[in-house]
Amino acid sequence: MAMLNFERKYRVRGGTLIGGDLFDFWVGPFYVGFFGVTTLFFSFLGTAMILWGAAHQGTFNVWTINIAPPDLKYGLGPAPMMEGGLWQIITICALGAFGSWALREMEIARKLGMGLHVPFTYLTAVFAYFSLEVIRPVMMGAWGHAFPYGIMSHLDWVSNTGYQYLHFHYNPAHMIAVSLFFGTTLALSLHGALVLSSTNPGGGQTVKTPEHEDTFFRDLIGYSVGTLGIHRVGVFLAVAAVFWSAVCIILSGPFWTRGWPEWWTWWLNMPIWH
Amino acid sequence: MDYQNLFTQTQVIGPDNHGVPINSYDQRERSKGISFNYLLGKIGNAQLGPIYLGRLGVASIIFGVAAFVIIGFHMLAQVNWSPIQFVRQLFWLSLDAPSPKYGLRLAPLSEGGWWNICGIFLTISILLWWMRTYRRAKALGLGTHVAWAFAAAIWLFLVLGLFRPVLMGSWSEGVPFGIFSHLDWTAALSIRYGNLFYNPFHMLSIFFLYGSVLLFGMHGATILAVGRYGGEREIEQIVDRGTASERAALFWRWTMGFNATMESIHRWAWWFAVLCPISGGIGILLTGTFVDNWYVWAIHHGMVPSYPLTNVIDPAIATPPFNPPMEGVK
Amino acid sequence: MKKAYLSFIVLLGAMMVLSGCERPAFQKAQNGFRGTAMVDIQNPRINADKAKLNELPPSTGLAPAEGEKASKVYQNVKVLGNLSQAQFTTFMVTMTSWIAPNEGCAYCHNVANFAEDSKYTKTVSRRMIQMTQNINANWKDHVQGTGVTCYTCHRGNHIPQNVWFKDNPQNATGTSLGNRNGQNQASESVGYASLTYEPFSKYLLASNPARIQGKDGLPNGNVHSLQETEDVYGLMMHFSKSLGVNCTYCHNSRAFSDWSQSTPQRSQSWYGIQMVKDVNNTYINSLQGVFPAHRLGKEGDIAKTNCATCHQGVNKPLYGKSMLADYPYLAQAYPTTVVADKKATTK
Repeated sequence: MAMLNFERKYRVRGGTLIGGDLFDFWVGPFYVGFFGVTTLFFSFLGTAMILWGAAHQGTFNVWTINIAPPDLKYGLGPAPMMEGGLWQIITICALGAFGSWALREMEIARKLGMGLHVPFTYLTAVFAYFSLEVIRPVMMGAWGHAFPYGIMSHLDWVSNTGYQYLHFHYNPAHMIAVSLFFGTTLALSLHGALVLSSTNPGGGQTVKTPEHEDTFFRDLIGYSVGTLGIHRVGVFLAVAAVFWSAVCIILSGPFWTRGWPEWWTWWLNMPIWH
Repeated sequence: MDYQNLFTQTQVIGPDNHGVPINSYDQRERSKGISFNYLLGKIGNAQLGPIYLGRLGVASIIFGVAAFVIIGFHMLAQVNWSPIQFVRQLFWLSLDAPSPKYGLRLAPLSEGGWWNICGIFLTISILLWWMRTYRRAKALGLGTHVAWAFAAAIWLFLVLGLFRPVLMGSWSEGVPFGIFSHLDWTAALSIRYGNLFYNPFHMLSIFFLYGSVLLFGMHGATILAVGRYGGEREIEQIVDRGTASERAALFWRWTMGFNATMESIHRWAWWFAVLCPISGGIGILLTGTFVDNWYVWAIHHGMVPSYPLTNVIDPAIATPPFNPPMEGVK
Repeated sequence: MKKAYLSFIVLLGAMMVLSGCERPAFQKAQNGFRGTAMVDIQNPRINADKAKLNELPPSTGLAPAEGEKASKVYQNVKVLGNLSQAQFTTFMVTMTSWIAPNEGCAYCHNVANFAEDSKYTKTVSRRMIQMTQNINANWKDHVQGTGVTCYTCHRGNHIPQNVWFKDNPQNATGTSLGNRNGQNQASESVGYASLTYEPFSKYLLASNPARIQGKDGLPNGNVHSLQETEDVYGLMMHFSKSLGVNCTYCHNSRAFSDWSQSTPQRSQSWYGIQMVKDVNNTYINSLQGVFPAHRLGKEGDIAKTNCATCHQGVNKPLYGKSMLADYPYLAQAYPTTVVADKKATTK
């Protein structure tokens, strides 16, 4: 049954948002739920669309498959299937799948008597996708501004979108987001290392205590945030990184059309020192 | 709305925590000052201090401050010592690497020599700090995982400032010390070497970067979500699995079909975070030394999607560029 | 109370920072395959302030070409001798309104003796007329049939508003500290980036190659440095700022150097670079020694041209409207007997 040795007592009914008992069961280790069904539906449909697009493109090379959004001239309307319409359907499927996944996580958390932190954090990532593929294109009046589905082609989009603003590194929200990305990675390495260093002290030593963890960081940098605090810091850094990423791209285009270095002239020209 | 375990509602201040005892010599190195901060206490521990000074730490700070001060005075000199212009132009100011014409020789101070000196001081400072992270762990009987994670970051730092410039035969390839200037360096590296997005180690590094953010979001949220069962007591849960670990594991098992344990999630975390600078450093090291144009490299490896050609022809093929006459050109 | 203060400060900070942004309004043009994000985005609100600058000046219309030639009627006519008297006199009046509307004829002439070459401005303007004719006749690859007149650069000013001088790379204290290395300054010339702020000597005066990407995947003798790349990047920032366009106007940034992925505008821009080199070397620098000291730069050089001199923030100067219909003699180069008066007396 693929159950862990302590799992059986946790498999109870309840916690569902929609559907009651109808889909309240497991398949192997996977919980289904109503939103498991919708996730599967959207995922299969979206994947089939991608495969259809790849077949039409004439390649199944995983690097070069490219499902592109419509030309700008179609604005926010539907486009012919092979001229961007496929992209539009896949986007709808993606949002449907991501939303279903979040709601399924909610159901699982409720069933296990857990807080809803995981689906909330996941939804901030979905928000980043949503802002790139929906919010910004809608604000700019055309689906064509969104990124294509393709491993290398989406990177070509990133490169050109960046150079639309001449030097995207100068975008202040981008600077904040990048710093938060690096900071999250730094914090993760420290947290993973700290826990492992207490539980794997090596050399015939005994497992250490949270007091050792606190002492290590106080010795090292004068402060230790503690076992609960580090998880709050981690979630905060990760969510902030994704939030500022969404901000930095929504600003670019709708709220700024020139090169990003030029934005800094407000600072250079402040009356106190100009 | 229910309590979401995000900010501590009631802060309890106990006696100062002077830390796990170490040998009497080292005890003297711990500072006396301990204070408590209310805002910090909303998130984690409120206690600030004590800090362990130590020979390695003090030496590291000295070298680090020296590097910082060299950069700072160089920037001040760039604005003719005006403190107001220093603040105004701070983000643009920079201590640059030497010009390519000096190769790997030490350039004159006014033309990049200070960059070399600053680089040496900063490297020494970082290596001393690394030794500190190792020693402090050993003194407390902990594993040295923090030190080895730091070593991965130091690898990237040394690739950028030492290994790659040496392999390229020129200090001018090093990263400048400046806010905007180091971003210009990043853009220039990608432009010069044919678009770094096509560098597979760059792809890996970004995969681990985004993956780390994903993982910390997942892990942090999971622990907060089982806070009511004591989930943050990770060491205790590792050696004696309680309902917090069980619910956390089952959440992910039911969601995605597999799960980690309270210990192994920290291994996932450590490796993802550490592989970001490791693969990134490899990608930087290969750039210019073994690959001159990543886009062309990717074409040879069948990775480049094709778009319709624009049929624009290089005008320099048919028309020679305008060359100014020899005399009269400054 | 504390929360209120904190929120207020955060709000104030956000307002200060966001005040740097633009109110939304856009025109977009797609320059590449869909999904590649090669798009030209303009905010008409921002561009509105360029409208006044790009209005065409009033014209007296096409002057008759019949009648006596100017070289017969007036003395010391060296460049415009082939014009009819009517063309010549109307052009003199018009040119004055384009260059020195307030000073009038006295800006170039000794009004007691118009034929005299006593003012340096007269010598300079002869060369400028030859330059204009050369651009229109020989650089159609860049200026097409639209062409240029004096107004395209000068727009009613003695000196065009966007010119450049050579720069002495700053070494502030003269000692070992403070060398800016020709960059690390917030210069409008490179769009306020920290890049090399005077890339023009290298690429628009001397003829250094701006092509720094290699053609092969593996190293094969391409020795261009990162410093050179930043120089070229600075030049490209100037291009963008001068034309009010972004990098994707000419390039697909995934492969900057690949012509088969670039737009036709890149080809036209290449001719523009060659044209500017011709202008700066053959015409501007030939006037070394004519300009008085107050017109020279820190290095004793003359004001030179770059893209901004004509384009002034718009992709086609004067929105692409041609002025040549009324001044056909500016559209062709005539053989002349004079090159430049290097030793003319200066004011």
